[in-house]
Amino acid sequence: MLAEKLPQQEFEFPYQKNSQELLEALGKKFPVLKDMKFSLAVDKQLVQENIRLKGNEEIALLPPFSGG
Amino acid sequence: MSRFERQIILPELGPEGQQKLRQARVLVLGAGGLGCPALLHLCAAGVGTIGIVDGDVIAQSNLNRQTLFGHSHIGLPKAQTAAEILKEKYPDSSLEVFPHFLNNKNVLDLLVQYDLVLDGSDNFATRFMINDACTLMNIPLIMGAIYKYEGQVTVFNYGENPVNYRDVFPIPPEFGEIPNCSETGVLGVLPGLIGTLQAAEAIKLITGIGKVLTNRMLFYNLKSAGFYEVAINPGSNEKAGFPKDLVAFSNKDYNITCGLSRSVSWEKALDWSRSLKSSILVDIREPGEEPVLDREDIHKIPMGKLLKDCSGLQGYENIILFCRSGKRSEKLAVHLKNQFPEKKVFSVEGGILHPTSPLNSIEI
Repeated sequence: MLAEKLPQQEFEFPYQKNSQELLEALGKKFPVLKDMKFSLAVDKQLVQENIRLKGNEEIALLPPFSGG
Repeated sequence: MSRFERQIILPELGPEGQQKLRQARVLVLGAGGLGCPALLHLCAAGVGTIGIVDGDVIAQSNLNRQTLFGHSHIGLPKAQTAAEILKEKYPDSSLEVFPHFLNNKNVLDLLVQYDLVLDGSDNFATRFMINDACTLMNIPLIMGAIYKYEGQVTVFNYGENPVNYRDVFPIPPEFGEIPNCSETGVLGVLPGLIGTLQAAEAIKLITGIGKVLTNRMLFYNLKSAGFYEVAINPGSNEKAGFPKDLVAFSNKDYNITCGLSRSVSWEKALDWSRSLKSSILVDIREPGEEPVLDREDIHKIPMGKLLKDCSGLQGYENIILFCRSGKRSEKLAVHLKNQFPEKKVFSVEGGILHPTSPLNSIEI
C-alpha cells in the first residue's frame, strides 16, 4: 500500500541516528508519507518509542489494512 | 468412523483435541472475503458453536472472494445464508446468526457468549471497536485484514504479555486515508488465504497445537509470494486512545474516532426526514442507477453534482444521504461536513441495498 506510492518497493536510505529522525527524513523525501498512518519496524521488531539506529538496519513501513 | 478421522489420528490433536473443538464457541465477525473461508474451515474442523455476525446482503460483486456464496444467493442476507449453507454441509455444527452490524452498544452482550473472536470486518471503526472490546474483556482476537494483493494476520489478547491492535496501530486512520477493496479492488484468492490462516490460528489456539501467531504480525504479499513477520511488544494502551473501562468503551464514538461520518439506519433516516425541522433525505446515486426509488420525501441530487456545488443544501440543518451500499454516501457525508461544519450530516448505513431500505417495502 505504501510501496505503491513510493518509487521502489525496497531501497537504501541515508543513515539517520534514530527512528524519529528517520521518519522525519522519509517524510521530507516522500511527502506522500506525511498524510498516511503507518508503523515502523526495525529489524522485524515493531518500534513505538524513538530508538537509536546503527545504519545497517532493515526498516519496514507497515500501514494498517481495513479490508475484509 | 467420524468425519474427523483424518485429524484425530494426528497425535497432537487426538480425541481430546477434537473434543476441545467440539466445545469451542467462536464468533466470526463478517461473512465476507475473510469470513467465508474461515467459517468453512472452522465448521469442517468440527468447531462446535460458531456465531456469524453480518448485517449486509450478498451482492454480485462479492462473488469473486466470498466463496460460500453463488449466483442464487444474490440479495440474500449474508449471515443467515452462510449459516444455512454450512448447516447443510455439516449438520453437527451449531450456528448462531446475528444479522446486524456490530457497534459498541451491542457488542459486549454478544462477546460474553464466546471463547474467541475472528475479525473479518471491512472497516477501521469496527476493527478498533472489536479490538478494544476484546482487550477489555480479555477475549482472544484473531485479526485478519487485506488490501489489494497484501494481507495481515495476527492473534491479539492471548498468552503472556499479550498485545492488541493499538500496540501495532495506536491511532485510527482518517476516513478515506486507507481505501477499501470496493474502491481499489482485490484479487479474490487473497482473502481466501488470509481467512484460512485465521481459521488455522483459531484451531491451534483451541487445541493447543503448535505456536499461536501471537505477539507478532504476519504480512503476506501475493505478488512476491513473500511472508514478512514483525514482532510486537506490548505498548501503553493509555497513550493510544484506548478506553480505560467498559463504561468508557460504551461511551466512545468509534465512527468519529475513525473519521467516519455518523451513520444512521433507514428507520431513523425516514423518521428524521419527516419529523426533524429543516431536514432533507438525498439519493446521491447518479442518474440511471438502478433500482430506481421514487418517493415524495426523497430528493435526487447526484454525488458528482454535489461535489462540484453543494449550495442547494445550504438551507437545511440535517442532511441525510444514501447511495447504493452506503460507501459513497459515507464519503460524501465527510466532504459535506467539511463544507458545512455547523450542519448535521448523516449517511444511511447499507444504502438502498440494505434489507430495511424502503425499496424492500414497496412493489417494484
